[in-house]
Amino acid sequence: MARRARDDDDDDEVEEEDEEEAYDLEDEEEEEDDEDDYEAEARGKASRSTSSSRGGGGGGGGGGRKRSREDNFIDDSAIEDDEEDDDDDDGGGRPKKKGGGGGVRGFFDEEAQVDEDEEEEDDGEGEDDFINDAGADLPDEDVVRGSRHRSMPMRDEEEDIDEIERQVRERYARSTHIEYGEEAAEVEQQALLPSVKDPKLWMIGHERETAICLMQKFIDRSDLQIKSVVALDHLKNYIYVEAEKEAHVKEACKGLRNIYASAKITLVPIKEMADVLSVESKSVDLSRDAWVRMKLGIYKGDLAKVVDVDNVRQRVTVKLIPRIDLQALASKLEGREAVKKKAFVPPPRFFNIDEAREMHIRVERRRDKDSGEYFEMIDGLMFKDGFLYKTVSIKSISTQNIQPSFDELEKFRKPGDDMNGDMSSLSTLFANRKKGHFMKGDAVIVIKGDLKNLEGWVEKVEDETVHIRPKISDLPKTLAFNEKELCKYFKPGDHVKVVSGVQEGATGMVVKVEGHVLIILSDTTKEHIRVFADHVVESSEITTGITRIGDYELHDLVLLDNLSFGVIIRVETEAFQVLKGVPDRPEVVLVKLREIKSKIDRRTSAKDRSNNMISSKDVVRVVEGACKGKQGPVEHIHKGILFIYDRHHLEHAGFICAKAQSCLLVGGSAGGRRYGYVRSKAWCFEISSKHFAITGKAAPKRTSYELFGGGGRGGRGHDALVGKCIKIKSGPYKGYRGRVKEVTGVLVRVELDSLMKIVTVKRDDIADTPTVATPFREPRYSLGGETPMHPSRTPLHPYQTPMRDPGATPIHDGMRTPMRRGWAPMSPPRDNWEEGNPATWGSSPAYQPGTPPARPYEAPTPGSGWANTPGVSYNDAPTPRESNYGNAPSPYVPSTPVGQPMTPNSASYLPGTPGGQPMTPGNVGMDIMSPIIGGEGEGNWLLPDVLVNVLRAGDDGPGVVREVLADGSCRVALGSSGNGEIVTVLPTELEVIRPKKSDKIKIMNGNFRGYSGKLIGIDGSDGIVKLDDTYEVKILDMVTLAKLAS
Amino acid sequence: MFFHIVLERNMQLHPRHFGPHLRDKLVSKLIKDVEGTCSGRHGFVVAITGVEDVGKGLIREGTGYVTFPVKYQCVVFRPFKGEILEAVVTMVNKMGFFAEAGPVQIFVSNHLIPDDMEFQSGDVPNYTTSDGSVKIQKDSEVRLKIIGTRVDATEIFCIGTIKDDFLGVISDPGAAV
Repeated sequence: MARRARDDDDDDEVEEEDEEEAYDLEDEEEEEDDEDDYEAEARGKASRSTSSSRGGGGGGGGGGRKRSREDNFIDDSAIEDDEEDDDDDDGGGRPKKKGGGGGVRGFFDEEAQVDEDEEEEDDGEGEDDFINDAGADLPDEDVVRGSRHRSMPMRDEEEDIDEIERQVRERYARSTHIEYGEEAAEVEQQALLPSVKDPKLWMIGHERETAICLMQKFIDRSDLQIKSVVALDHLKNYIYVEAEKEAHVKEACKGLRNIYASAKITLVPIKEMADVLSVESKSVDLSRDAWVRMKLGIYKGDLAKVVDVDNVRQRVTVKLIPRIDLQALASKLEGREAVKKKAFVPPPRFFNIDEAREMHIRVERRRDKDSGEYFEMIDGLMFKDGFLYKTVSIKSISTQNIQPSFDELEKFRKPGDDMNGDMSSLSTLFANRKKGHFMKGDAVIVIKGDLKNLEGWVEKVEDETVHIRPKISDLPKTLAFNEKELCKYFKPGDHVKVVSGVQEGATGMVVKVEGHVLIILSDTTKEHIRVFADHVVESSEITTGITRIGDYELHDLVLLDNLSFGVIIRVETEAFQVLKGVPDRPEVVLVKLREIKSKIDRRTSAKDRSNNMISSKDVVRVVEGACKGKQGPVEHIHKGILFIYDRHHLEHAGFICAKAQSCLLVGGSAGGRRYGYVRSKAWCFEISSKHFAITGKAAPKRTSYELFGGGGRGGRGHDALVGKCIKIKSGPYKGYRGRVKEVTGVLVRVELDSLMKIVTVKRDDIADTPTVATPFREPRYSLGGETPMHPSRTPLHPYQTPMRDPGATPIHDGMRTPMRRGWAPMSPPRDNWEEGNPATWGSSPAYQPGTPPARPYEAPTPGSGWANTPGVSYNDAPTPRESNYGNAPSPYVPSTPVGQPMTPNSASYLPGTPGGQPMTPGNVGMDIMSPIIGGEGEGNWLLPDVLVNVLRAGDDGPGVVREVLADGSCRVALGSSGNGEIVTVLPTELEVIRPKKSDKIKIMNGNFRGYSGKLIGIDGSDGIVKLDDTYEVKILDMVTLAKLAS
Repeated sequence: MFFHIVLERNMQLHPRHFGPHLRDKLVSKLIKDVEGTCSGRHGFVVAITGVEDVGKGLIREGTGYVTFPVKYQCVVFRPFKGEILEAVVTMVNKMGFFAEAGPVQIFVSNHLIPDDMEFQSGDVPNYTTSDGSVKIQKDSEVRLKIIGTRVDATEIFCIGTIKDDFLGVISDPGAAV
């Protein structure tokens, strides 16, 4: 076609044609002679004979040199065109030209390659190479002609044919060598890559035809300074020209019909030069049965299997799982215009003829012309065995790095052809093998060729060749195989590690070998994993694989997108397997990282069937449901659902999901005894005592629930808030009052007084009502007698219990009612004490530094307590307690001032003061840590400069403590920066503002009381604090930290 | 496989045992310490059959403990690849079943159970042949072949197969009752 174009071209080219005819004739002769000769020789002779012929013909001067060169290549390509030429023999000049045209085309390609090689090789030689090369041909011509301007040493003497042949061979030997240059080490390759000094590659419009014209022009004119021309089949409208300068390119293109003078010439970046010529080779390795992926259309991303490759037309026939909407197809065939839903892509499904027939779609059965196979045809689509056969352009599929997953392969595998499926998947696997795939000592099996199924061990690996030592002793010591003929081989029982693929990192024992797929029993999950033999190595290591992506780790409880939650039971390369919190049946979902909303890191508890409190790490037994009989420690609790880890449970990494109500606490009593007590530990008391003080007074916001998550709170059936009247201070229900019905984690269900409905609000959003006191009083009365109610009591009991006896009697006599009320709540602690948990005493904060137990004894005025009227003390006593419960300022608030002067004394009564006043000790328990014996304990907690929330009607809002008065009340400057009015506020009307991360804080309790620092992190209920003075980092309970005013 | 071998161990003995019954104490402590342990090399120590030699004791400074090198004969049990064992089924699930042969736990994957046996879930999960004549459930005794072992510091775990001639159930608890 290029040739034809040329024929139409300029007149001067007509002359050339004659000459070319001559070449063609020569070529044919050559082919006859040299059929058996190897290529180089053929070339050598070709050049020899052409030159001789040319010598005879006395063909045209300047161009001659070039031509001789060209002939070599024509000769090459002529072999391809053999048949054609033979046919053409009798056809006269014209057809021959066509054959010659083929030759030229062949030349062209060949030239491109050789030029590339030369270009690479040229680095050192500089730009004259082309001419030099031609010079190398000169001797041949000169031998015959002897009329050359240039003189070369060789030319001086007549050389015999052998000598010439030798030279030619040398030359081509060299070039062959270059052709294999690809095998050189990478560094050498790098050296061959083009650099700034080398001829540049230029890109111009139009293609092959133009390239031919340019070639012809080059042959005609010696002054053209271009080096090569490249036209790529896949690149329309462009050719590449190799030249030193743009001007040279322009010069060469000048006058060419196919190139507009204005055509833009673009410089190809050096980096891309190599790519220009290596493109072709990439698509070459597309073979039948290879796996590819579609790049376009509705099948985009789908796996497909190559059925047929048509390299000439650049088309491939692939086998796909069809995504066909039969409904739409049917309506289309009937001529109805189906409404096009754009975003809808039908799911892949095997095509079923019967289904189609049911929808009245005409299915033709036709025989394919080429393959002779039968296909079902619908509307131009070809189906066979349910697969869609589709012919697409090579460009529309991607062939590189296809790693079909097991699922996809399974789908493609129809029953009956499993072995073939294996083989074809192997072919793809090989393409994706990493370098250094085989290592010495690997057990391998031969999968192709005569020695198929031969087992052996790798001895040595050299690039693609693998030397193996066969298992059968009669065979030679080592055999060399191509990498692709081998596959790793494992036997059942081998312990292996997966080194690539989805399961990367897992280890296990091979249970079964199915062709080249292994079934492995994972060490950790005791589950079966299917992997390719190529993806594993033998290893004695035992690991789970990866256990963490992002913030989420194996066995974390996570909140998912749709508000469901679950435990991560397996971490895969890009996704998690999550056992969802559905109690009835195990539901496992695969979620991506982005589908996880957050980690649920809250310590909550739930009640079991007998109302025992279950917290995490408690051992429970499932008594009903699907997992009945299982037993194990509770790992997570969320919304009344337990995640239990049973070591003996093999599925879901040992996790069982069950309703708390269908479980029984192991060791808990069926009658609702307080398991929490038994197992409560010293630290529980510590926390609870702090909590006691702080929830009571300083931070009503702080939920005891959270604090007691562990064990301290464990024993109690109720949250302190339940039954309380509260006011909602923020959120949509701001301003409403109501009674707390239920507390779940940070959420509180409140029955609104005004709306007669129950709403759920955040715990942080509620404040205790300062006014209505009665409602909560009632339940307390009743509760007090029989059940222990509040965890906050715990720390108190050491004090209270001893006091009871001495104190009780007189009061009992005097005032029955208040007494009872006072004591009722105390019973649980006593309980606890009696249950024999003396160990906790020692660590109880009451005995901690700063609170010398002796103090109370030393305190003077044993009688001073009595100095106050008993009535006062009664009134007084409940007050602090009240606030402990629910942070609700009690109705007795007004009386506090009265009590306050008294309380300091009360401290001294504490244990064993004979006339001790029984009620007050409750207070003392709280502020026992503080050096100041303040009235309310509250005062002790606050320190100057601390940011607080004032909860007094009229003065609501933030403030800064300026001064703590002796009676426990504070002088607070209103406003968050403390520049407002200074008011004196009772401690009960204050709450400390809980610091956030990186806030400046002040420590209100413990050994570091009074220190200031910075909160550098929060870990659950602990804050990580960096002290200002010493730069020490301390971990302190959050409740002891208060935000400093900025 | 069982072996009767001689092993050596350094025993530390508290000074309070120094007296006429020192040797007895030593032996009883040895038995207590060693029997039932597992080592990757030798397997489980099943029983100590005799003490060959008690070396000279060396008094440890500071503690007063004495270290005796003791050579003792013992029976060890170590499973090997390819070994045929008889084991009691302890758990059956859809992936296969676990069986125990003495101290060794063996897992038989469903891939290694004859193809004609199918998993039946339910109250008593089991593997049953299609005609129901052979059933593997908890407490069945099976003869199996070990195809792989994994040795941890304290445990040996094996994978076994019953997919071979002469392997499978040897006594069925269901049949006996």
